[in-house]
Amino acid sequence: MYALVDAVSYYASAEKVFDPSIRNKPVVVLTNNDGCICAVDPIARKLGIPKFIPYFQIKNFLVKHNVVVRSSNYELYADLSERMMNVVGRFCDNQYVYSIDESFLHFKNYNSLIKDWHQYGHKIRRAVWRETRLPVGVGFGTTPTLAKAANHAAKKLDGYNGVAVINDDRSRKEILDKMSLTDVWGIGTKLGKRLNILGINTAWELANQSPKAMRSQFSVLVERTVNELNGIACLNWDEVRQDKKEIFSTRSFGQRVVDYNALKAAITSHGCIVARKVRKQRSLIKRLLVFASSSPHDDNYYKKSLIYEFPVATDNTLKIAAAISFIFDEIFLDGVNFYRCGAGAIELENCQFHQHDMFNVSVNNPELMQCYDHINNRYGNGVIEVAAAGQREKWEMRRSFLSPGYTSKWADIPKIIC
Amino acid sequence: MKFIPILIQAGISGFESPAAEYKELGLSLDKLLISNPDATFFGLAQGESMVEAGIFDGDLLLVDRSEEVKDGDVIVANYNGCFTCKYIDKKYARLLSASPKYLPVSISPEDEFQLEGVVTCSFRLHRKLRELLACMH
Repeated sequence: MYALVDAVSYYASAEKVFDPSIRNKPVVVLTNNDGCICAVDPIARKLGIPKFIPYFQIKNFLVKHNVVVRSSNYELYADLSERMMNVVGRFCDNQYVYSIDESFLHFKNYNSLIKDWHQYGHKIRRAVWRETRLPVGVGFGTTPTLAKAANHAAKKLDGYNGVAVINDDRSRKEILDKMSLTDVWGIGTKLGKRLNILGINTAWELANQSPKAMRSQFSVLVERTVNELNGIACLNWDEVRQDKKEIFSTRSFGQRVVDYNALKAAITSHGCIVARKVRKQRSLIKRLLVFASSSPHDDNYYKKSLIYEFPVATDNTLKIAAAISFIFDEIFLDGVNFYRCGAGAIELENCQFHQHDMFNVSVNNPELMQCYDHINNRYGNGVIEVAAAGQREKWEMRRSFLSPGYTSKWADIPKIIC
Repeated sequence: MKFIPILIQAGISGFESPAAEYKELGLSLDKLLISNPDATFFGLAQGESMVEAGIFDGDLLLVDRSEEVKDGDVIVANYNGCFTCKYIDKKYARLLSASPKYLPVSISPEDEFQLEGVVTCSFRLHRKLRELLACMH
């Protein structure tokens, strides 16, 4: 048996944990730079507020309905996520943390121990609520994809109340019948439309397709999904998340940038973030894309992007900063109001299977980078930084509605009235 | 591959400390006081209603959400949208203060009320801590 446990509108729920004054109010959370709405709590959902709508478009509506607006407080979400995962992990010896608010559990040989999965699901829910004040949904299924489907039912379908179990044909049909295609794990909007054309509209209809036919018409991934929907487990943790093929760090500026050094610092800083992520998945950068642009709504829209190819693939932050510095003059143009910039590793090599070059010496410095990452992990990101990444102020994320760092800053710990 | 950590000694070596066998991990306040780190948070006491329980304005509180709440415990509750620290009187559903200046508060069905956790310990800071000064106000 598999389970998927995830939080109900995680970011919005996390905002309520240490702020009891908003527990019963509608809450929405905004993305980076307060651009769009990325989380809508169940109370706000009842007001009909959609996800991913630009904030400025719905601002007046939010004011009118007294909706609480928050910027993304990643420090808080990271801390609460860890707590939640630890509590969930107590309920199974095989846990796979899939994202900031989702984790899979794989129960092997538990059938003699757990008679009632519903009850067990509610036990998990109660424990997480009690110890972290986060509401979670629990879905059980005989494969990861069915667990994910049950989780969807637990949270979105009437009558499930936070826990759903798919452990026989009846429960499987009941839930899959009510699920649209794109609610199935691994079926995106595009794929969903192509399947719709074939007359496949629900998860149950997809489950009844021939896996072989799906493979020849679409891909091995769709074949796998069909098998998983029929109770044949095909996914394991390693396949659930593969290494990323590309890693980008990019963002629009809180306020426009015209200064040469400021833009250079911003791009370098994005390069450093990419380098850190690349090291984390033990890859090396072969080709790096660097770009900057004004806004497409501006007159004389300006956009320039360049690719730097490293002679030998590297994960060395210093070399990446040097590469950016090397090509930066070709990107910068005097007089442009820069709105957006970024860097992205577009060709990665695996650290383990790295092909050495006879003529070019590796420029990596694993000891230095390890030390650099250790310091930043221990004392907080940005504690040490390459000088070229400069100071952050001007282009740092706009977070006008940021809640306090209740669990990460002493000055922000919650006040308790005596 | 597994490494077996046996130290090989060669050449000049000093004398092993006779206390080496007795060495243990240092004392950690976290380990001593926080039995459920995932369910525990820090808070800052504000107000004088719990002084006879030894909790003064500006004290640091440790709140454990996983502890079972017993009658008469010092607890933190969400009382009408505020974190509030009081004694809990389960029998009569009241919040009691530890000071004669404050009357008991009865919890009525119209009130928003959730138990948040048990105050497992509180700290008096006899010297002001720079980190906490900002949140005292």
